[in-house]
Amino acid sequence: MPRRRIYNPLTELLTAALLVVLVLVVNRWEVSLAVLLLVVLPAILLSGRARRIGLAIAIVVGPLLISSLLLHGLFFPEGERILLDLGFARVTVEGLAFAAVMGLRTSVFAGVLLTAAMTLDIADLVATMTHCGWNRKLVFIVGSAVGLIPQVALRGEQITRAQQARGLVVGAGLPSRLRALLAVTTPLVIGLLVDASERNHMLEARGFSARVPRTSYRPDSDTPGQRLFRILLTLGVGAFCLTWIVLVVLT
Amino acid sequence: MIRLEVDAFSYDGTEQVLVGPVLQVHPGDHVVVTGASGSGKTTLLRLLAGLTGSDAGAAFTGSITLDDERLDFAGSEQDPRIDAARWSEQVAYVAQGAWGQLSMMSATVGEEIAFGPANRGVPAGQLRARVDAVAESLGLTPLLERDPRRLSGGQLQRTLIAAAMVQRSRVLVLDEPFQGLDDDAAAEVAAALEVLRREGTGIVVSAPILPAPILPAPILPAPMLPAPIPAEAAPRSARVLALAGGRPVFDGSLADARTAGLDRFGIGTMGDPPAIGEAPERPEPAAAGAALLELRNVSFRYPQQHGAPHGTGLRGVGFSVSSGEIIALRGPNGSGKSTLLQHLNGLLRADSGSIAVDGTPIRSQPTGSFAAVVGYLFQDTDQQLFERTVLREVAYGPRSIGRRRPDAERRAAAALDEVGLQAVSQAHPYELGFVQRRLVALASLLATGPRLWALDEPTAGLDAPAREVMAALLRAHARGGGAVVLATHDAAFAETVAHRSLWLDDGRIVTQGGTEHG
Repeated sequence: MPRRRIYNPLTELLTAALLVVLVLVVNRWEVSLAVLLLVVLPAILLSGRARRIGLAIAIVVGPLLISSLLLHGLFFPEGERILLDLGFARVTVEGLAFAAVMGLRTSVFAGVLLTAAMTLDIADLVATMTHCGWNRKLVFIVGSAVGLIPQVALRGEQITRAQQARGLVVGAGLPSRLRALLAVTTPLVIGLLVDASERNHMLEARGFSARVPRTSYRPDSDTPGQRLFRILLTLGVGAFCLTWIVLVVLT
Repeated sequence: MIRLEVDAFSYDGTEQVLVGPVLQVHPGDHVVVTGASGSGKTTLLRLLAGLTGSDAGAAFTGSITLDDERLDFAGSEQDPRIDAARWSEQVAYVAQGAWGQLSMMSATVGEEIAFGPANRGVPAGQLRARVDAVAESLGLTPLLERDPRRLSGGQLQRTLIAAAMVQRSRVLVLDEPFQGLDDDAAAEVAAALEVLRREGTGIVVSAPILPAPILPAPILPAPMLPAPIPAEAAPRSARVLALAGGRPVFDGSLADARTAGLDRFGIGTMGDPPAIGEAPERPEPAAAGAALLELRNVSFRYPQQHGAPHGTGLRGVGFSVSSGEIIALRGPNGSGKSTLLQHLNGLLRADSGSIAVDGTPIRSQPTGSFAAVVGYLFQDTDQQLFERTVLREVAYGPRSIGRRRPDAERRAAAALDEVGLQAVSQAHPYELGFVQRRLVALASLLATGPRLWALDEPTAGLDAPAREVMAALLRAHARGGGAVVLATHDAAFAETVAHRSLWLDDGRIVTQGGTEHG
């Protein structure tokens, strides 16, 4: 089951973004590892969707890790301690270490952002954005993810079933699957465009173009405490990063 | 309250799709705008909803009078422009196609209903009060926290009505609100409309056939919906405006409309059998061929899904269908009819038991490999249409079972001819009306040439001529040695067309027999 929500989605998103900034600025493997073990891993385990998030991270990070290992492990110009000389390439300690650090940081980025995105309560986020008075078109774009993404998946599945009922055979091989994907894409996009044109009048009729500030049916889950926390967090991370850059990076 | 006078209307300045209808709606009226497919119903309703099409090149001459304000249109660029948001405060409109009517940014039914007033800046406290009030009227209070994407057809349609009516508009215009709904869902929607009408809302509903009158029955206090109401019913006091070819052919009471001989304009009456002449010819058991379809002790359970109610499965279902037979699967909503149909071409696979089509057991073969033997018509037509032109759509089946393109297109053209749609072969399927789209789906099945047809609610939303085409094609297919299994709520159609009915309840067959059981 998805976890019970404690923080407002804006707080969660901002925290995730600031963590990424922190790991980017403080280019130390110890910091990356600490964030991974002390923040990302517990967040994933407590999310209630650990398997799905783990799989998503593996899909995103896996290929990046492999390519980083191949690239830096075999072709690292500054590498001096050679472990294996293949002639056209050299496996060096420095190259492997660099690849490991890069991989660690990539894992932290992907872990933080995917965990935040996959546990985000979009409806709550939309309500918060509305209460904060954000532009309603921007809110609509974010809010569309509530209905549109699952609708796209459902419609794609229905089209595939209809095509199968009429003779489409999806084989196990990649070419067959790619052909099936292509066959679904066109009707899927056309169907979504037709829906969008129908939805256009409905949006107008339901006052979407009104100029008054939009209100929200959902109560605001944001609190003064969390607003203060976000401000302090932003200031704190900003000040730390600035200090770090001045004292460590530039000296 | 509102009066629409249409001298003429055309979408492209050439062909006139409406000539001469006049429609007036008062508080508490229930007006049914009826006509066969292409008669101009949707265009008329869109005009009532303030969609004059002037920004898309349409030419409307006539007038719309709302209370004391009269807007005259001369089909010119100087014509008044109607502000959709302001107009909808007086005249709410629910178009066809439920998915296109959802805002797609609401996680709950409550938010969906609140979408309009929230856009208009109604303060949160009032917003909740308005949503609660309209939800109570329409029996939606228990659904307010539900995901609108996971509602049944009737619940979704009622949600859309609530979303349109949350501002307490005085007129509610609905374009074929019963389209694609089964009997239970249609009855839910009819009851909701009756509640609004009794509260003083003027209701305008378009329908391809004349509805049944609501029998005088006590209305239960809100939030209970009135019951029992026949599906797609209208009150006895309802008025009917019938259109044919864009022209008014009848304007009067529902009772008079039922005896006015509107069938000559392709306007049938709910509950009437399709007019296809003689009674069904039961194939003699001796004359019937070997079993084309055989199910033995088939059981199936849907996998559990988070947040989604899982459908009824099947429990020990067994029957056989011979060549030349038409079998109707009947039973209440959720009894397992569609689930059973989806087993006939491998869309769903039985957990236990066996199914054989034309002697071939369905095991782990790909679903697509059965297309040459089993043709499937989905309940939701739009699931089934995915090509760029009608001809390509219909030719898809024959192509995918290995026919060469010229042969596939020849078969497609012949199938389109059979359903009367050859003239639109180069149109995009989405340019057609619902009835024509349904016939395109049927033609695609004809062109592939399977011996067994599995049809899910084939007559839902059809007008009388299309229903007759459907009945005639089913009979011709059976006479030609094919077989048909259709899941239907249309008792009159099943009685006329099917040789026998299987009654399902809770996933098992409870009665087998001739159609006189219905």
